[in-house]
Amino acid sequence: MNYLQRLLLVGLLLFGKQVFGQTDSVTVLDEVILTDVRLLHFSNNNTTVLKDSVLKRNGSSLTDLLQFNSGIYLKENGLGMVSSPSFRGTNASQTAVVWNGININSLLTGQVDFNTIVPSNYDDVQIRKGGGSVQFGSGAIGGSIHLQDQIQFNSGLENEIELFYGSFETRGVDYRISKGSDQFTFGFGVNYRASENDYKYLGTDQKNENGDFETININGKVGYKISDKQLLKFYHQTFLGDRNFSGTLTAPSNSKYKDYNTRNLLEWNHFKNNQVQRLKVGYLYEKYKYFGNNDRPEFSFGQTNTFLANYDYKITVKNLIFDAIADFNHVNGKGSSVADAKRNTFAGTLLFKHNVSSNLSYDLNIRKEFVNDFDSPLVYALNLEYRPNKKNILYVNGSKNHRVPTFNEIYWITGGGSSGNPEILPESSYQLEIGHALLYSKWQFKGAAYYISSEDRIQWRPNDSGIWTPINISEASNYGLEVSFKYAESWGQHHLVWDSGYFYTQARNDETNNDLMYVPKHKATSNISWSHLNWKLFYQLFYNGSVYTTSDNSDELPDYSVSNLGVSREFKLNKDLDFTAKFQLNNIWNKNYQNVAFRPMPGRNMQLKLNLNF
Amino acid sequence: MKMKFNKLSVLVVLSTLFVTGCSDDDNAPIIDETPIEEEPPVEEEPPVEEETPDAYENGILIANEGPFNNGTGTVTFISEDLSVTEQDIFNKVNDEDLGNIVQSMAFNDSIAYIVVNNSHKIQVVNRYTFESVAVIEEDLLNPRYFTVSNGKGYVTNWGDTSDEEDDFIAIIDLEGHTVTNTIPVELGPESISANENYVYVAHQGAYGQNNKVSVIDPTTDSVLKTIEVGDLPNSMQWDAQGNLWVLCGGAPSYAAEETNGALVQIDATTNEISQTFDFTTIQHPGGLNIDGNELYYALAGGVYSISTDATELPTEPYIDGVSFYSMTVNEGKLYGTDAKDYASQGDLLIYDLETKTLTNTLAAGIIPTGVYFN
Repeated sequence: MNYLQRLLLVGLLLFGKQVFGQTDSVTVLDEVILTDVRLLHFSNNNTTVLKDSVLKRNGSSLTDLLQFNSGIYLKENGLGMVSSPSFRGTNASQTAVVWNGININSLLTGQVDFNTIVPSNYDDVQIRKGGGSVQFGSGAIGGSIHLQDQIQFNSGLENEIELFYGSFETRGVDYRISKGSDQFTFGFGVNYRASENDYKYLGTDQKNENGDFETININGKVGYKISDKQLLKFYHQTFLGDRNFSGTLTAPSNSKYKDYNTRNLLEWNHFKNNQVQRLKVGYLYEKYKYFGNNDRPEFSFGQTNTFLANYDYKITVKNLIFDAIADFNHVNGKGSSVADAKRNTFAGTLLFKHNVSSNLSYDLNIRKEFVNDFDSPLVYALNLEYRPNKKNILYVNGSKNHRVPTFNEIYWITGGGSSGNPEILPESSYQLEIGHALLYSKWQFKGAAYYISSEDRIQWRPNDSGIWTPINISEASNYGLEVSFKYAESWGQHHLVWDSGYFYTQARNDETNNDLMYVPKHKATSNISWSHLNWKLFYQLFYNGSVYTTSDNSDELPDYSVSNLGVSREFKLNKDLDFTAKFQLNNIWNKNYQNVAFRPMPGRNMQLKLNLNF
Repeated sequence: MKMKFNKLSVLVVLSTLFVTGCSDDDNAPIIDETPIEEEPPVEEEPPVEEETPDAYENGILIANEGPFNNGTGTVTFISEDLSVTEQDIFNKVNDEDLGNIVQSMAFNDSIAYIVVNNSHKIQVVNRYTFESVAVIEEDLLNPRYFTVSNGKGYVTNWGDTSDEEDDFIAIIDLEGHTVTNTIPVELGPESISANENYVYVAHQGAYGQNNKVSVIDPTTDSVLKTIEVGDLPNSMQWDAQGNLWVLCGGAPSYAAEETNGALVQIDATTNEISQTFDFTTIQHPGGLNIDGNELYYALAGGVYSISTDATELPTEPYIDGVSFYSMTVNEGKLYGTDAKDYASQGDLLIYDLETKTLTNTLAAGIIPTGVYFN
């Protein structure tokens, strides 16, 4: 690891992304390494960075990662099946997933399936809490999840192979390679996973039937320095899924789901004194096929193609940062039930930050989209930050955010009792947040309180003729409190890290005054890890409070907590060859739990991983 | 047509699975359309007098489908004087769930047959105690409705919903609680009803559409005849003269071609159509019921009534401004259900047919789909 990387790492570890009084070299380095600098300069001070050992521990899916390391509630239709988040009590299409700066929420469903993302392939995953539609577009209402590749020059050749085998005939292979010279760097990773996934439903004589799956994920990145001032980057990601959809406690299933996602992004960077220019072009493709009966050839499908171009100009003048972004996005989609749908979006974004003094700054952000098939609202954000001293950060921010209607919502072909609604409006929300962080060398504390008011929430309801159609009907208010605590201690060769969070969420439908379904009032997480020489040990848990499963709050799922225990031992076989054996026991207390009603999750299960690094 | 309807199920799977209950905006379309239910055709027999009546001996039973994606249907009991409401009595008595999408219920002596569509099974219970007697699980595929004839049970089955050719009637041994035989039938068998000679099946068309009534001879268990009626026959009733009335909804506005609803009278002695009342093309009635000599049906936000000897359809609703998920008429009262947002407990609404007023509103389970009387 070179000097600058180490410097950056230290910065990230200690202060998150908001390092005050950064040296210029770090700033420039960040801009080189990262693609999404909006997170760096125009974040709302409430970002959690997950990387290194955390990504190794819970890196197999975004579901697994966020369950144990965030306040987000994950609804998983059985292990490995479709999974969606509820962030600060919002719904799945109100969380944006941002891949190297590009919003990748599906234009068919408005969501990302969190079991189709493999976090261990990224250099870091960041959880940005709160509204971010100005910076990250549609769906950044509850918050956004950022998948980030870093482009690192001057790094040695690294190969990593990991084989794993676990309960329910779950097996997989991960391979990663990376190398960086002065001028050129590349990284490549591939993951294969498969599972029979036929776990027993605890307390019954049933098991998880028709839940087997097979997935392949590929990530690639290339960086090339054209000159001192010019840099080219290319990112790629492909996911191929072939999953049967498992049944429930009360109904069998024989359906199958195949999905294919590919994302490509080419970026040109130009650095000149106090100015940075970026030009990005991207191509995204998604397709799914759903087989109601996996023994039969009939299927339904949907697909979209997205072409995007983005120009970003940033200039720093003394203590002012200006950033102007012009975005063009063309999406076309079709499917069994979506007629040829097209959407052209042009968006202009202005970001402005003023470091008023060494301990006070604010930023003002505004974005306007022009879309051919509906009117998109003006969205904006204001963040204010005050640092009375080096150890204290206080902030307040407010924003207006939106979620655009999906192709399904607008273009669903009328038939079979349902119909899209061309008149549908985007969902919009206002929010306010205050927070405080205390950063000491050994421990840090973060606390935030927020309020979200959402309107024009889109729901499918039968209309006068009994046809189900999406309408802007409901309003919701969410508020909550989030606290996290991190403690790190070292003595001799012993290192201890303890990282915990508690999340209180109240989300209410303003029409009915009932609580929203599938939002736990309480969630808690705790991770403790200890390392000594070549040994590492961790214990982690999350707690989900009870959730309502009906909109009138007449039925609920009980609360539960799930714990994992893991141990690993590293063997340095020679200077260039490391071997690590890892053993992990999941759900060690054999808790019978469901995060979606009637879809039990597995009891105690284990996993063995063998990792070779050379 | 059938593929079109299947696309709907994909929307349900994709949008609701993805959004599974993430909030109350998860009400993706319900595939299961038959919003209106006919009264169970089986004759009620008075319970054997005992000193203390069984828990559910006198009162109303409501079959609730339950949430579409994942969950269980339930049965609600309401006492005869409407003073006591008990939810989910099957689970209460048997400590297990009924199954996913409770479609209908039928009775034979002291036994109730609860047809659970998406779990592909029939729960057999004592109708007065609700104690489980048996579960019929083999050889059913998307079962819909049940009737009894010639000492046997007859159950309509859609078969695999992506196969238009595999629809069938399952024949049930009422003693052994097993499927003993199946009769292949036309697409989309739905309501089923019997007189002393024949079993009649209305082919609404499952996810597609159909326009026939099959006549089955229960002595040979074969299809004797199919009678072409109007499009999408959804409910049937017997009048005092022994005629079978079939109400056809017609193809809806979103179908390839919208067609009119029709009320058809079949002479059960000849199995020929004796009368047809056509609605206009944009009228799609459902929920045929009979009380004495008056037929009742639901149409466009109203309940209409027509005498069995009428010569033309009524033009004005009998009760206006009402819309139900299902509707049942019994002894001068109309029992309508309200499924609300399909993700919360529905209501049972009781109207007095004489005064045309709402007399009671009682809590039911999720998506109440049928009302029965013990």
